[in-house]
Amino acid sequence: MMLAIEGLSAGYAPGLAAVRGVDLTVGPGEVLGLVGESGSGKSTIAKVLLGMLPRGAWAAGSATLAGLELVGRAEPGWQALRGSRIGIVPQGAMGGLNPVNRIGTQLVEVVRLHTGASPAAAAARARELVKQVHLAESVLRAYPHQLSGGMRQRVAIALAVAGEPELVVADEPTTGLDLVTQKRVLDLLAELRSTQDMSMLVISHDLSGVVGIADRVAVMYAAKIVELRPAAGIRAGCAHPYTKGLLAASPSVSPDEPWSAIPGTAPPLDTAIPGCRFAPRCPLATEQCQRAEPALVAHDGGEVACHRAAEPMPLSFPSVLTVAAADAVPRTPDPGEPLVRVTGLRLEFRTGRRTVPALRGVDLEIRRGEILGLVGESGSGKTTLARVLLGLVPPSAGRAVVNGMEITRLRGRRLRAAQRWIGFVHQDPYGSLHPAMTVERLVTEPLRLGGVPRPEHRRRVVAALDAAGLPGGPEFLDRLPARLSGGQRQRVAIARALVSEPILLVADEATSMLDVSTRAGIASTLRRLAGQRELAVLFVTHDLGEAMHACDRVLVLRDGEPVEVGPPRRLAETPAHPYTRELIRAGHQRAR
Amino acid sequence: MTATDSPGSARDLVTGRSWRATGGYLAGRCVEYGVVLALALVINFVLPRALPGGPLQTLGGGGESVGLLSPEDQKRVLAEYGLDRSTSEQFLTYLSNLARLDLGNSFADGQPVVDVISRALPWTLLLVGSSILLGFGIGVLLGAFGALRRQRGKGNILLGTALLFDSMPAFWLGMLLIAFFGVFLGVLPTFGVGDGFDDPAALPRHLLLPVLTLTLTGLGQFFLYTRYSMLSVLSSDHIEHGRARGIPRRRLTIRHALRPALLPVHTLLMIEIGFLVGGAVVVETVFAYPGLGRVTFEAIRAKDFPLMQGTFLVLTVTVVAMNAVADATYALIDPRVRTGTAP
Amino acid sequence: MTATEVVLAAPAEAPARRRLRDLLGVAGAVGVTIVGGMVLVAAIGPPLVGNDGLSPVAEPWAEPRAGLWLGGDDVGKDLFAQLVIGTRASLAVGIAVGLITTVVAAVVGAAAAVGPRWLEATLMRLSDVMLTLPELPLLIVAAAFLGRGIDIRIAILASLAWAGAARVVRAGVLSAWSSPHLEVAKAMGAPARHLLIRHASYVVAPLLIPIFVRGAMRAVIADASLSFLGLGDPTTPSWGTILYWASASGAFLTDAWSRWPLPAGLAITVTVVALALIGVAVEDRINPAMRRVR
Repeated sequence: MMLAIEGLSAGYAPGLAAVRGVDLTVGPGEVLGLVGESGSGKSTIAKVLLGMLPRGAWAAGSATLAGLELVGRAEPGWQALRGSRIGIVPQGAMGGLNPVNRIGTQLVEVVRLHTGASPAAAAARARELVKQVHLAESVLRAYPHQLSGGMRQRVAIALAVAGEPELVVADEPTTGLDLVTQKRVLDLLAELRSTQDMSMLVISHDLSGVVGIADRVAVMYAAKIVELRPAAGIRAGCAHPYTKGLLAASPSVSPDEPWSAIPGTAPPLDTAIPGCRFAPRCPLATEQCQRAEPALVAHDGGEVACHRAAEPMPLSFPSVLTVAAADAVPRTPDPGEPLVRVTGLRLEFRTGRRTVPALRGVDLEIRRGEILGLVGESGSGKTTLARVLLGLVPPSAGRAVVNGMEITRLRGRRLRAAQRWIGFVHQDPYGSLHPAMTVERLVTEPLRLGGVPRPEHRRRVVAALDAAGLPGGPEFLDRLPARLSGGQRQRVAIARALVSEPILLVADEATSMLDVSTRAGIASTLRRLAGQRELAVLFVTHDLGEAMHACDRVLVLRDGEPVEVGPPRRLAETPAHPYTRELIRAGHQRAR
Repeated sequence: MTATDSPGSARDLVTGRSWRATGGYLAGRCVEYGVVLALALVINFVLPRALPGGPLQTLGGGGESVGLLSPEDQKRVLAEYGLDRSTSEQFLTYLSNLARLDLGNSFADGQPVVDVISRALPWTLLLVGSSILLGFGIGVLLGAFGALRRQRGKGNILLGTALLFDSMPAFWLGMLLIAFFGVFLGVLPTFGVGDGFDDPAALPRHLLLPVLTLTLTGLGQFFLYTRYSMLSVLSSDHIEHGRARGIPRRRLTIRHALRPALLPVHTLLMIEIGFLVGGAVVVETVFAYPGLGRVTFEAIRAKDFPLMQGTFLVLTVTVVAMNAVADATYALIDPRVRTGTAP
Repeated sequence: MTATEVVLAAPAEAPARRRLRDLLGVAGAVGVTIVGGMVLVAAIGPPLVGNDGLSPVAEPWAEPRAGLWLGGDDVGKDLFAQLVIGTRASLAVGIAVGLITTVVAAVVGAAAAVGPRWLEATLMRLSDVMLTLPELPLLIVAAAFLGRGIDIRIAILASLAWAGAARVVRAGVLSAWSSPHLEVAKAMGAPARHLLIRHASYVVAPLLIPIFVRGAMRAVIADASLSFLGLGDPTTPSWGTILYWASASGAFLTDAWSRWPLPAGLAITVTVVALALIGVAVEDRINPAMRRVR
């Protein structure tokens, strides 16, 4: 075995295990996918393998690289291993390149460190590495801030393989990238594995993405492995309900396939649960599951930790959201004049002497009760468009009329009055709630700004929380954001956007920072609200699958230009534009 | 992202532009320096004329005896100094005199101010220049060390010492050093520079205490700033990632952390130049060191206003010139300045 | 997914002293205690020492004795009285300049951050210019021409000190301005006043403490330097004036150094160190990067 992990436990505080008794192996030339949501312990394993645990953390058990023990190794002993025997594509690598050194300098440095090559040989090797990750040689002379996220991620991969390590650990290599770039990065990793003869551990929250390139996949939940099986086996059928839930929670680009959320959230590390840790969220849980923790046992070419793995598993996760299911709710988009009409919208940003076009002529319409999906990769201008509609950014040219008012021409008091009719859900549920304001004060803020009489506040806040699927009890109203889960925070943000009874809701990547298993819940809430309140919704997302399920119509944006617009089913079946076809194809290649 | 993801698109970002952007940055700074100098000129022109007693007292050389002059005499003196003409005429005369390097004559002994200043200036440049270089160098090194040893005994002692020196008035520190090395130990001279440049062998002994005093005064800020900046950089992702890539600790600290950490310290250098020039004024006074500070002090005592204004002007020019040198080096350490992207 | 939970520190249920230490660390607590003590001396000290320190009460170079704790200076004036009374002037200058600097910096910094582009450019260029002007030489000419009263010195010191502080405030407001919760409030139609007071202040307010502290520190030292050069207020004793006369009479070359220049210089140093400790403690607590390293 290249890498053998046995009985590994680790944590950041005494007595609190972020990883509990994990056994894993990676064979020579094998790609192992390690999948889980935030807090599952997957990144802790990466830290153990590189000796990067912070001060005060602990690790027990064993992890050996070709027979060499890694657990308990002192700092001086690590330098001979990192980079030369274990390479890493660190989490957030895009922001982790040295900002003041050229890419070439950084590559040459790592090559020379690990291979002892001469400067000339190292420079030649750097050129070769850049070519291997499909970048132009000119990148060598660039500084990190001059490259796009995708390019920087390739550079990080080149840095990881520069020392010709036996094992490469890639920690969330695709987070923050769009579908097409994600696929290219994953393809690159798969290609390097075969050409460079190295083992690979790919850590990700994205099960469908990883299944495409891994030989075997380990799924972690609440510090333990729940399923470890060949990728092909998982593709054919999951053995653990959580794995099944994760797959069902990543939306397909086909609008007819269901999209589910797993109810509830993962238990905190310090809660003692006698039985299966997934049981509280599991639709199949029996009394036995509550009582006894299942062990990892052999199952269908791999291992699984579930009491009911042997039985046939009917999928029954709630809040299934498909166009078909949504159509069951009677919804009739208003046939009259559209509420929002954007025509010929253009916007250029000035940086120094250069002007960068962000929007190059966008037209769109949204009717009452309709959800329009706005899909595009990062940098496509979708967030800019949302900000123009919110009156935050004045466009260079074009009109944006909301409810008969030309929002781009308004200033000062009249703009602020118009803004009160538009609700906004920001993409970052962690930053968009003022950390020192309670839930009640957060949701009340729009009412205070709108001059709503004080006695009405409490009633309307509770009603808005209820509409967003949250309790309105006094205990909850007094909570600070720090004591809410990510999903709860985003629901508070939705309640805040609803409380002033807007006619238009702008949801900017409202699900992108949430755990996969809770995204469908947020999307279905928005969809329900659009129907019940005759609310026009602009649903901005980089995830085409999400838009396909949550929206009545989808507009694909690329480089600030609308590429194609239409109902989800039409886009999925007969995409007209080559770019849409590429997106749909990248989506179909992901496992379900 | 795909738009820029295609190979080769970084090329236009990398080539060209860089020197033009650097030029723009430096040009902006030059305009600022022009404004600083103009401001100093205006202050020098306006202050003596803004006094309630009129300019006679400060420009006419009369000092406190002005009140004793008869009205006719006052008029004669005003005419002699051109103070009876319009303000704009006076300003033009002032500028043309300046252009001819005529800063007026000292009240005390009637010597041209320019002569007094040009004798003293080299001494101040020597003192300030060596103190800045020493303070910057030692402060940065200790600051980086202090950041690495944070929360440990050595680091805390360093931090405390730096805070202490930063908090002492420079002239008091000078007094203490004189009392200790000059009087108690009796190993170093306590004032002056002996025979100056005529006796180069004795010079270092005379320079040691003034330079030490001013260096210690400036050291604290450089230490604190470097330490703070270094701590921020050390906790950033690229250092963590560099460690994960197997870059040895020493190399990571010096090449990857110290250089970006120096960028804000460089900004401090600009501010600190002005501060140390001010420090030199008091330190020179304590050590009876023959520089511009000593000249200033004597001018204050003798109410020698032209001399005071002259030293102010020359010290401002000195600070601007040193800043320009520091500026020219800034673009060399930060690529973002060179390529015109906002830092 | 990648965001980590922010855990706010629970309010400590401990005695006030303990809470101060929890809030600022040992160093910060020491700083606050010293500054508090100094303020107390300045408030109640002068009436207690019995003379104004301006006229001789003993023979020249009098040795310390009961009632004349630090002895007399070269004309027999009470050095201890001068030291105690001088506390008032030094602290008054420090606190006043600190406060004015903080207010001006807050206004200018906020205006530069949220105001129109021309205003930002003007204010920032102006602050660059102010930062380049050599502080002490300018103070000297200004004090020489404009006078030596405490009000004039405060005005001159404050008019020079705001520049660097305004840049810090501007950076703080700018970073707050890009924070998501402020952007959401902006999209709700909140006026700029609401944004500044409710949302930006959360980020900027903690920055004002180090700004105040630094302004006060520099003012105490600069004011002492002016007095030391003979530009002090002749009508009231101050720490800088004590040192001026100590230097003029060569006291630091004699045995009197330990009772004349030493206590006055120590008083300045201790005050400034105490302020610096508060500043460092607050800064360490504001910067989240510091917490990660710790």
